[in-house]
Amino acid sequence: MTGALVLAAAVAAAAVVPLTGRDYYATLMLPFFAYSVALLGLNLMFGTTGLLSFGHALFLAVGGYTAAYLGSALRVRSLEAMLVVAMVAAVVVAVPVGWLCVRYVRIYFGMLTLAFGMLFYSFLYKFYALTGGDEGIPVARPLLLGRAFGDLDKTGYLVGPYYYYSLALCVVAALTMWRIVRSPLGLSLRAIRENADKAAYVGVRVRRYRFYAFVIAAVFAAAGGVLLVVPTGLASPTLAYWTHSGNLVFMLLLGGFSHFFGPVLGAFVFIFLQDQVMSVTEYWRFVFGVVLAAVVIFLPHGLMSLVVRRVDA
Amino acid sequence: MIQVLNLLLGGVFHAAALFLVAAGLQLVFGVQKILNLACGSFYALGAYAGITAVTTALAAGVPPPLFVLVLIATGVALGVLGPPIERLLRTIYDRDEAFQLLLTFALVLMLEDVIRFVWGAAPYQLGGVYLLYGQVRLGAVSIPVYNFVVIAAGLAIAAGMGVVLTRTRFGRIVRATAENRGMAQALGVDMTRISTRVFTLGLVLGTVGGALVIPAGAAVNEMGIELIVEAFAVVVIGGLGSMRGAFAGSLIVGVLKAVAIALYPEAEMLAVYLIVIAVLLLRPAGLFARATA
Amino acid sequence: MTPLLAARDVVKRYGDVQALSGVSLTVREGEFVSIIGPNGAGKTTLVNVLTGLLRPSSGSVAFKGRDVAGVGPVRLAALGMARSFQLVNVFPGLTVAETLSVPALARLGRAGRPFASLAGNTGVADSVAEMAELFGLADKLGRPVRTLPQGDKKLLDVASAFALRPDVILMDEPTSGVSTRDKTAIMETLVQAAERLGVKAIIQVEHDMDIVFAYSDRIVALHQGRVLADAAPDAIRADAEVVATVLGVPR
Repeated sequence: MTGALVLAAAVAAAAVVPLTGRDYYATLMLPFFAYSVALLGLNLMFGTTGLLSFGHALFLAVGGYTAAYLGSALRVRSLEAMLVVAMVAAVVVAVPVGWLCVRYVRIYFGMLTLAFGMLFYSFLYKFYALTGGDEGIPVARPLLLGRAFGDLDKTGYLVGPYYYYSLALCVVAALTMWRIVRSPLGLSLRAIRENADKAAYVGVRVRRYRFYAFVIAAVFAAAGGVLLVVPTGLASPTLAYWTHSGNLVFMLLLGGFSHFFGPVLGAFVFIFLQDQVMSVTEYWRFVFGVVLAAVVIFLPHGLMSLVVRRVDA
Repeated sequence: MIQVLNLLLGGVFHAAALFLVAAGLQLVFGVQKILNLACGSFYALGAYAGITAVTTALAAGVPPPLFVLVLIATGVALGVLGPPIERLLRTIYDRDEAFQLLLTFALVLMLEDVIRFVWGAAPYQLGGVYLLYGQVRLGAVSIPVYNFVVIAAGLAIAAGMGVVLTRTRFGRIVRATAENRGMAQALGVDMTRISTRVFTLGLVLGTVGGALVIPAGAAVNEMGIELIVEAFAVVVIGGLGSMRGAFAGSLIVGVLKAVAIALYPEAEMLAVYLIVIAVLLLRPAGLFARATA
Repeated sequence: MTPLLAARDVVKRYGDVQALSGVSLTVREGEFVSIIGPNGAGKTTLVNVLTGLLRPSSGSVAFKGRDVAGVGPVRLAALGMARSFQLVNVFPGLTVAETLSVPALARLGRAGRPFASLAGNTGVADSVAEMAELFGLADKLGRPVRTLPQGDKKLLDVASAFALRPDVILMDEPTSGVSTRDKTAIMETLVQAAERLGVKAIIQVEHDMDIVFAYSDRIVALHQGRVLADAAPDAIRADAEVVATVLGVPR
């Protein structure tokens, strides 16, 4: 199967990058892995279920701040612990927020999620004592599977063991999401996207399954959030800002939300394009605005639609 | 007591600008069913351009007391951007809302850097020219007369909008299109012309709002993306598509913010978001819900 | 025997308009009931109330003895009543097989499982195959629904309701939009499917009087929100008032 071969080649290529000695590009791959994990979750909501959230970065922040807090305040350095606690925290936040939000659809869902995202941002920004305010909380270098890699300097750690850890996590996340999308829940979610009323008539519990999608997406985003803050070493309130959520959706659209790997492609292109553009001009936002407009108008199903025939996510 | 009055006036001052932006948002949503994320960017554009225009005008010898008119004129002049931007948005009118939101988000990104390119990243201020109108003393507090001018302008524009929407042919067409687009079209309304006009009007409301409010403060790069959340709050509280809602909503948000800042600064925007969430949960259509086809 | 579906004195008001003014209707096991009436008689409103979509302003609706007023489509499907629509209501982006899988999963209580495999679900596969065969869609299982001709979409819509293996199925104009020649074919398919699947009662809203008279055990004639007549086809034919208001000039 060509698809599987392409994927295997991609993973192999990713595995080889650190070995090429091009540390700069290897470090760029790190946010790519983080965003890929988060976007796989976001696309369960958008591509599969048809819900557009403009506040998903809230859960990136939940993940990031959990990792920061565990490492700095509680001295828990294990990345596994950070991931687990972050995902639990995501569920704790997503359950009430999701329960409220999925009662609404379309514009109202978008606005409600944006409001919650900014509510969290406000909380992170203002409650200095708890959250470090606009300075954020530093993220200590975590232990990977119990090992400190103390002999490696920051770059060596990030481009070495941390890189492969992130890559592995990304693959695990993809496999898990693949399973979910191809499960009965995945089919029910797609039915909800296609025709929510009809889905209800054939017995699908529309609100409940949208809620499940929301919570699952939150968990993935939190895991991505943990991965995102380790390289920068800082969890700051901007993680939750609405434009960050907007960028997440941008990546989805860029890659293509109708295809399972569209989001991953979107994250890759976004990060590397941003890097390239930023080195040429400081007005990268303008360029990206044009790119987004072009994608929305001319290529609504993203770059993936150029590569493969439309496949349902 | 004086403090309370000062507080309220501050809130109403902010509400005036917020109303203008929200009114623009409502108009565009009502007729074109697009939630324009870039409305905050128009506000920012108005602010920056306003400062430049007044500075230039003053240097060119325009009598300083006329600076308010320069600000308003700048806002109106920026209306020239309306038709081309509307033309861009028109390409996706019939598509899913998600695409529309994202196209306006693209505009936000573009306009952010346009502003940065033209005016730079440092805060941009007008200086003290607004103090020309003098100040009013209320006990220990001094309130610039300019603030009252802005509030008056906001009220005047609100009243003007009311008249336009209820008494003019244009207003009737706008309301009809907002209520039932298909019917309006069937009755011969030129959708293209209406869309362009409404969008331009919405844009101008935003730019005028930004221009009017800026003399007392500083224009910063993030002002657009920060305002959008407040504008959304106003629109949600007041009800999507309702002008009266924009009026009531902006008053509520403006005063609430002022109260929150005074009582518990950390809770400034928190209070607003909580109200938004509460309204969305209890009365999702907003306080002045309107039926749209 | 308790009736399967019992509506009692159902009134439904929309502001000043009274869509239903005290409609009572019972459906028992083994019955095929047709609801007829001119446009605006309140048929759709009645159907929406019977299927738990609308809450009656007053009166009651009981399904299998349980109050189902305003219960909602999902709950009702779980209780054993399914519905198909006048206007074709499908999942454009899913395939035929997927469309038939959804109700099967719902029926088996597996629709919400995130980690189970779709492919290995034998109960579902059997159900899909059975429904496809009953409705003549077996050769189209892999096709996206949006590519199907209108008639097949209609069949699929009805098939997905049947896939819930309901006790009662309510069909809103099952042969509308279909050519006369195909109407009988569709009705035969429906009746056979109902028998095979153990559907205990069928209710339909229908305008085509040939179909109505050919298949119904009972006909309920609705006019201006009231039941004009509720009787066997022969009695209906003999009822002059019904004939005049609903049937037009008798043949």
